Amino acid sequence: EYEREYAGGSWIPISECSPTTATICNVTEDISAPVAYKLRVRAELGATRSPWATTEGFFSRAMTSLTPPELRVLAEGQHVLVQLADLGPSFQFRLLYWRKGHESRVQQKVLREVSSVVHLDTMEAGAEYCVKAQTHVQAINRSSSFSPTQCVRAQGDTSL
Amino acid sequence: TAGNKIFHFGPCRVSMSMAEIRAGFSAIKANIQSRDPIRSLSILSHPHSLHKVKSSDRCCITHQLLSFYVDKVFRHCRTEDSFVNRKISSIANSFLSASRELGQCREQNNCVCGEESTEKFKQILANYEGLDVTSAAMKSLGELDILLDWME
Amino acid sequence: SGELYCSLPNPRNVRFESINMKNVLHWSAPEGTGDGVLYKVKYAVYGVGKWIRKPECRNINRTWCDLSSETSDYEEQYYASVKAFLNGTCSDWMETARFNPLTDTKIDPPMVSVSSTDRSISIMLTAPEKWKRSPEEESISLLQVYPGLQYNVSVLNKKTKKRWFFSISNNTLVVPWLQPGTAYCVSAQIHVPTPLLDSDFSK
Repeated sequence: EYEREYAGGSWIPISECSPTTATICNVTEDISAPVAYKLRVRAELGATRSPWATTEGFFSRAMTSLTPPELRVLAEGQHVLVQLADLGPSFQFRLLYWRKGHESRVQQKVLREVSSVVHLDTMEAGAEYCVKAQTHVQAINRSSSFSPTQCVRAQGDTSL
Repeated sequence: TAGNKIFHFGPCRVSMSMAEIRAGFSAIKANIQSRDPIRSLSILSHPHSLHKVKSSDRCCITHQLLSFYVDKVFRHCRTEDSFVNRKISSIANSFLSASRELGQCREQNNCVCGEESTEKFKQILANYEGLDVTSAAMKSLGELDILLDWME
Repeated sequence: SGELYCSLPNPRNVRFESINMKNVLHWSAPEGTGDGVLYKVKYAVYGVGKWIRKPECRNINRTWCDLSSETSDYEEQYYASVKAFLNGTCSDWMETARFNPLTDTKIDPPMVSVSSTDRSISIMLTAPEKWKRSPEEESISLLQVYPGLQYNVSVLNKKTKKRWFFSISNNTLVVPWLQPGTAYCVSAQIHVPTPLLDSDFSK
């Protein structure tokens, strides 16, 4: 949008796709600001070129669809651990967890930049705990739907 | 995200993906600063440092600086390097979004300009206008970390 | 000042190496010159026109010079420059890139102290201090310099070889309900989200 309003409507070439034989181009790195973008493509064959084909309307990254995170819940002794697929620094994970049978007392934890097994909380001996997670992107202030709930049982009165 | 910052200035708020902006700037910092041979002049930090601005004036000077970069700086920084141009475009669009957000608050008179910030911004413009446009724009872009450090 | 005609090859790779804002200028000797090369160093605050000589690094034969004192104000940015001399001839002044102590420093891992009961461990973390001129000078924790500073803590069960991570903003962590008689290894890293700075994990 900056280019349209302040730089005479100039266009920024994307070198990875100029040229390319694919009919797809990953523009994530370029669409990295919370404004509206226009994109255009043209075909080239030898010296001949087609006119530019431009996206109808604008694209903003807030229009992205967010999928629930891949979540894995583990119990080790009386500890609940989670593993989440790392999606990069723009993503946070919001986890809700509760003791089975105490659905009214849901607890929340926000995890950033997970790249391994993260400790969620400590459980009461023998109790079963359930966890679900959603991705959240602060930059566009949007969240995905929740992942399916997973429940694990803490070991009896012994630890891990 | 790990770097999305919400800046509060009294009733005004502006959100900026500082981590993304800083990552973009770090990627081109050496390239941009090497195009600025003038060591003895700074647009933003001399003779008066931004860090001396009173907190009551922060809202106004932040908006003035965001608009300064949007109106005067980024458009004169086109280079022959496509990678650098793409990073500048990302930063420029982030600044455009932030300056709009803060601009709306200023229109509601919640972002008052005191004498100090007016004086400080005049100094910045004088420093800028003391150079030819391209040199001034490149120097200002090379000082983006001075602005980001002060904002944070 | 009238400069000699400088035909000596230039010092190479002139750069700042900074850890916890202890800012040391480093360079490599000019190509093809053996022993006997001497150097002198100057520095400048970006935006201020004056180059300032560093007397303690005048006619030195080592290839580093500690400029921590001269570059301790991390609200400023700096340049430094080195010139080589040998047998009456000299090199050009060779400059660093612009140095920003706030974003161009490396951070040491935090200090980790661990105490334990039979079923839990308590971990206390201490962020390193900013470099200071003398022990008497007031200490400044890097936590004051980087308010968004966080800690990533790793706890490894030596028996099961399983490692857990915790991400915390305060500097204490208690991990309860552990297995008695089991060895746990604790390691911690400092993470500053913006400007992005990550320390190594502590030993």
